[in-house]
Amino acid sequence: MKRLLIANRGEIALRIVRAARALGIESVLAASAADRESLAAKEADRTVILGPAKASLSYLDPRLVVHAAKATGCDALHPGYGFLSERTSLVTLCEENGIAFVGPTPTSMEQVGGKIAARELAHGAGVPLVSGSGALANAEEALAFAKTVGFPVVTKASAGGGGRGMVVARTAEELKEGFERASHEAKEAFGDGTLFLERFVQTARHIEVQVMGDGNGKVLHFGERDCSAQRRYQKMVEEAPGAILPADVRTRLHESAVRLLSSIKYRNAGTVEFLYDVERQEFYFIEVNARIQVEHPVSEAICGVDLIQMQLKVAGGEPLALEQKDIQRRGHAIEVRVIAEDPDRNFAPSPGRIRRWQAPTGDGVRLDTAMHEGAMVPPYYDSMIAKLIVHGADRAQAVQRLQGALRDFTIEGIATNVPLLRYIAAHPDFIENRISTRWLEQVLLPSYAQRSAN
Amino acid sequence: MTKPTARDLEALMDLFEKSDWKELDLRTEGFELYLSKDPTRRRSHGPAASPAPVLSAPAAVFGTPAAAPTARAPVAAAAAAIPANWIAVKAPNLGTFYRAPKPGAAPYVEIGQTVAADTEVCLIEVMKLFTSVRAGVAGVVRQLAVQDAEMVEHDQVLLYIEPV
Repeated sequence: MKRLLIANRGEIALRIVRAARALGIESVLAASAADRESLAAKEADRTVILGPAKASLSYLDPRLVVHAAKATGCDALHPGYGFLSERTSLVTLCEENGIAFVGPTPTSMEQVGGKIAARELAHGAGVPLVSGSGALANAEEALAFAKTVGFPVVTKASAGGGGRGMVVARTAEELKEGFERASHEAKEAFGDGTLFLERFVQTARHIEVQVMGDGNGKVLHFGERDCSAQRRYQKMVEEAPGAILPADVRTRLHESAVRLLSSIKYRNAGTVEFLYDVERQEFYFIEVNARIQVEHPVSEAICGVDLIQMQLKVAGGEPLALEQKDIQRRGHAIEVRVIAEDPDRNFAPSPGRIRRWQAPTGDGVRLDTAMHEGAMVPPYYDSMIAKLIVHGADRAQAVQRLQGALRDFTIEGIATNVPLLRYIAAHPDFIENRISTRWLEQVLLPSYAQRSAN
Repeated sequence: MTKPTARDLEALMDLFEKSDWKELDLRTEGFELYLSKDPTRRRSHGPAASPAPVLSAPAAVFGTPAAAPTARAPVAAAAAAIPANWIAVKAPNLGTFYRAPKPGAAPYVEIGQTVAADTEVCLIEVMKLFTSVRAGVAGVVRQLAVQDAEMVEHDQVLLYIEPV
């Protein structure tokens, strides 16, 4: 690999530019007109402007991106995350034009891309799925199924989602009574009252495993991350390791992720996401993310590796030099996403000019960002402006470092979620690691709003 | 500071045009740039400058004409001589610039040719997909800013038309 086209923006584009430079690879940034002045554009060996600010006319056009790669003599392309990163057509275009795509093959991407295909793959690889029934004729059938998987269970409408036809039942009586109600509701909403049943996960954690494959069947894992602090399925805080996992569950989790992706000879970086049932201590497959993820730095911190550099090496045809036993996980890392949104105004985006930017430094503190004093946060794209990553000997030290780093972080000119992140980092539930996937929305945010009102 | 490319200049001029500044006088090692929104103004100090540009149309004063574009920014170096009333036809997106509908065919337009606003003046190709670019204004084609089959970026000047 001699010259790499980077088809992304923001902190990840900058991160890829620097990883390429460290490996002696030239970088060409393909940016929109809005990002002409970005830090990534300044640091890249060359920047070409694809099109106007609007992403559909620039970052989201696979043909433009591949044309830019060819015209500038690039032999590889890194898509970053978001935008075109999981678009099979981009991978295919790259292959047809002799450009190495830094990511999985189009076949793999398709195999894990669709939810149903991915579930079948997981099933075939012996990876646990949330137990679900087929269509149920009546409450008696539902009861029989519930007895095999155990309570609580939840009814779901075959014909649609959105909460209609969903009833959580903790006992046989609740199920008998709830079944009729749910079926009626489904019939009203979708014209079809058919229900099926799933095991209900009362207290869930979002746990995911970072992997890297060489494309020939060798798949390494870099431990798991706990990304349970989410708002509207958007992660806000991510940690590694998932400190609540019992050791044997953690081992089985890693094995499942590796088994799943080695079954398709997965190439490059990927993440296998699981739902973890805290009460039952069981995990269930959700989906595969066939790209590098926003939260990869926490895995880098505890494993002492550079995943982006590793991605580039794998895409350049180098074998994975590591063995699983070489990957030793050490300490605890936490990442928080700093977003240009105002938590006091229902997370309204707040683009604009950054008047003051004082970033934290110190032992175990890393900041991934393309922002600086005087920089502009454009209104056209995702509002994440920085990722603050802290690493400590254990979770308690990591939390302390997070609190300190957030205290030292000053951003003026735009509204950000930093005050909310400080509130999270100081909350007893967070400090004691007693959260779930519903915690941020149901406990933390109402409490934060209350505090703001006072 | 490395020498600014023609793209840098365009960005600077754009910034200046959108600002409420009246004047911009930039001097770095081996490079000087003076912009003014007052057509009658001249640089008041330092080395004698060429006539000040009017910013209604792309024009700039190059303190050092040697600040010619490199291969990275293939805009014609002669941009300094562009009269204020010429209109730039710009690329809608990144792609390859073609003067003719196919190899060997006559170019869409030649220098000195009169065009209507909807006259096709060139093609921009993106992965074998060709989009024609129209003049956008009635006038006479005065200058080409890009070589045939060269890569152009979004908003890059392709050619200049003098309106009639």
